[in-house]
Amino acid sequence: MRVLLVEDDRMIAQGLETALRQDGYAVDVMRDGRSAAEALRNARFDIVLLDLGLPERDGLEVLRDLRSRADPTPVIIVTARDDVPNRIAGLDAGADDYIVKPFDLDEVGARMRSVLRRAAGRGDPCIHHGDITLNPVTHTVERAGVPVALSAHEFSVLEALLQRPGAVLSRAQLEDRLYGWSGQIESNAVEVYVHGLRRKLGSESIRTLRGVGYYVPK
Amino acid sequence: MNSIRARLLVALLALVTVISLLAGTLTYRRVLAETSLLFDYQLRQMALSLRSQVSMAPRLELPPDQADADFVIQIWDLYGKRVYLSRAGLPLIDQTTLGYADVRIAGERWRTYGLQTLDGVIQIAQPVRVREALAGGAALRVVLPLLLLLPLLGAATVGVVRSGLLPLRRVAAEVQRRDAHSLTPIPAAQLPSEVAPLVLELNRLLVRLHGAFQAQRAFIADAAHELRSPLTAVRLELQLLDRAPDAAARLTARQNLGAAVERAIHLLEQLLTLARQEPREEPAALAPVPLEAAVAEGMADAHALALVRHIDLSLDAQPGVMVQGEHAALRTLVRNLIDNAVRYTPPGGSVRVSSTQGPRGAVLEVCDSGPGIPVVDRERAFDRFYRRVSAPEGGSGLGLAIVKAIADRHGARISLADAVPSGLRVTVLFPPPA
Repeated sequence: MRVLLVEDDRMIAQGLETALRQDGYAVDVMRDGRSAAEALRNARFDIVLLDLGLPERDGLEVLRDLRSRADPTPVIIVTARDDVPNRIAGLDAGADDYIVKPFDLDEVGARMRSVLRRAAGRGDPCIHHGDITLNPVTHTVERAGVPVALSAHEFSVLEALLQRPGAVLSRAQLEDRLYGWSGQIESNAVEVYVHGLRRKLGSESIRTLRGVGYYVPK
Repeated sequence: MNSIRARLLVALLALVTVISLLAGTLTYRRVLAETSLLFDYQLRQMALSLRSQVSMAPRLELPPDQADADFVIQIWDLYGKRVYLSRAGLPLIDQTTLGYADVRIAGERWRTYGLQTLDGVIQIAQPVRVREALAGGAALRVVLPLLLLLPLLGAATVGVVRSGLLPLRRVAAEVQRRDAHSLTPIPAAQLPSEVAPLVLELNRLLVRLHGAFQAQRAFIADAAHELRSPLTAVRLELQLLDRAPDAAARLTARQNLGAAVERAIHLLEQLLTLARQEPREEPAALAPVPLEAAVAEGMADAHALALVRHIDLSLDAQPGVMVQGEHAALRTLVRNLIDNAVRYTPPGGSVRVSSTQGPRGAVLEVCDSGPGIPVVDRERAFDRFYRRVSAPEGGSGLGLAIVKAIADRHGARISLADAVPSGLRVTVLFPPPA
């Protein structure tokens, strides 16, 4: 899962980034509105955490810009502006949720999962596919009711692929989801994770479209 | 008695009473004077008419009603013997003066007229009391209607005064409706010219009050808003500390938590400093203080940060420069200016402070070798919580706002300019001591 964190306060950005990484998200941090808008134009994120009071360009402008391109990327506004008119303006501009500072980390996590679930068109927090069940809250995977131990990166790859069964994700896309732009990538890391997943979930669980990428069959 | 209405009522009613009495007295005097003339004329006419009768018939008979009249007639013959007296039993006037005379007999004043005839003397006498009674009656007839009209006049006065004071009561009701939340001006249209200036001044006060309240509210809103960020950081780091997976993460979170708390404390202190410098009801008494002392102390306050950041801090203070001010506030001003310069200047840079006596008052200057402030941003630099993108961590965004507030209180002017060869030059120009 790749997160764009737009926050101008360095302390808060750093803390949130650490927390999100601990939760297994790949995090990119932008500290002003202009570079955030640029990042959103150039890359795909699974979810955006957006502060409103930003230098250069206001967060609301960034959000409107995104929605004007019919980009459905889920956006959660995380801001100190707590008054009702601002909340309404934020939600009406296309935000999926609105969190007021100072927030609780666990709540941010829960809201992110809820927004991601809705974006994937699911009400059930767990993703079911064949005999595989993935629970994004507890970070657990079961196969035919039996728990399967996965590493954090294996889990992220599986989660990304299960979100849209049948859709092909390239190695680069998966790497972005795993590390963001800033992480160090080992050249064959994705192959290693896919291999591990196949070993634990069955060789047919993830298929390769040669030269393009990986997918889970529908 | 502090009511305009009561005062007006008493004054007007007293005036009406005094005028009535004055009119009565004057009328009495006038009537008395005029009747005196008439009565004198009548006395003379009576005497003249009696002269012809007496010469024919010494035993004169007068009509009975005339005997009851307020006249006493006496006639003497040539030998001085009284031959006629109109009414017996009265104290007699024995001596006779020819012509008019005022006589007093047994406590009673009389007006007499004596006339010499061929065979004696005729005297007609009339009590002055009769004349006065007549005049008194006339005066009473003038005053009485006035006195009877007095209650009516009073009622009319009450009405006039009440309607005259109506605009004041309307204004009072309008003022009563105002509070901290509705400070709209009082409608001043159609107010009498006596009340209009009051309302005008009141409206000016309301506008000032409104502005002050607005500023207060904005300040509190800003402060609450700005406190969210450091507190968010505190809570975040606390939760990260709780969930840290290993010792290294715990140590990082612990350090970050400390920094976040320090930042919250710094912001709080700066907020309090600014709140203390904001205009208050009673302006602090400014006294002549040596500028160099405040500069030296403010510099000592900022010294630690300069050491940490490896900034070369230097001072050039001209001795004996005095400013009209408050020592503690000036020290805060200097500390914030240096603090700001030190924070923005990259490590290894320099900050130079100087205080001199200029031709138009004392001058304080702080020059740094930092990035400076672009001309377009200079005006906003004094706004509360204004921070540029390049602002260093840990600042409150209040430093220059505090400096501005203190400078304003001292009537000093601040200007931002480019330093030579680079950096920001802040100049504070104090007014000459009065």
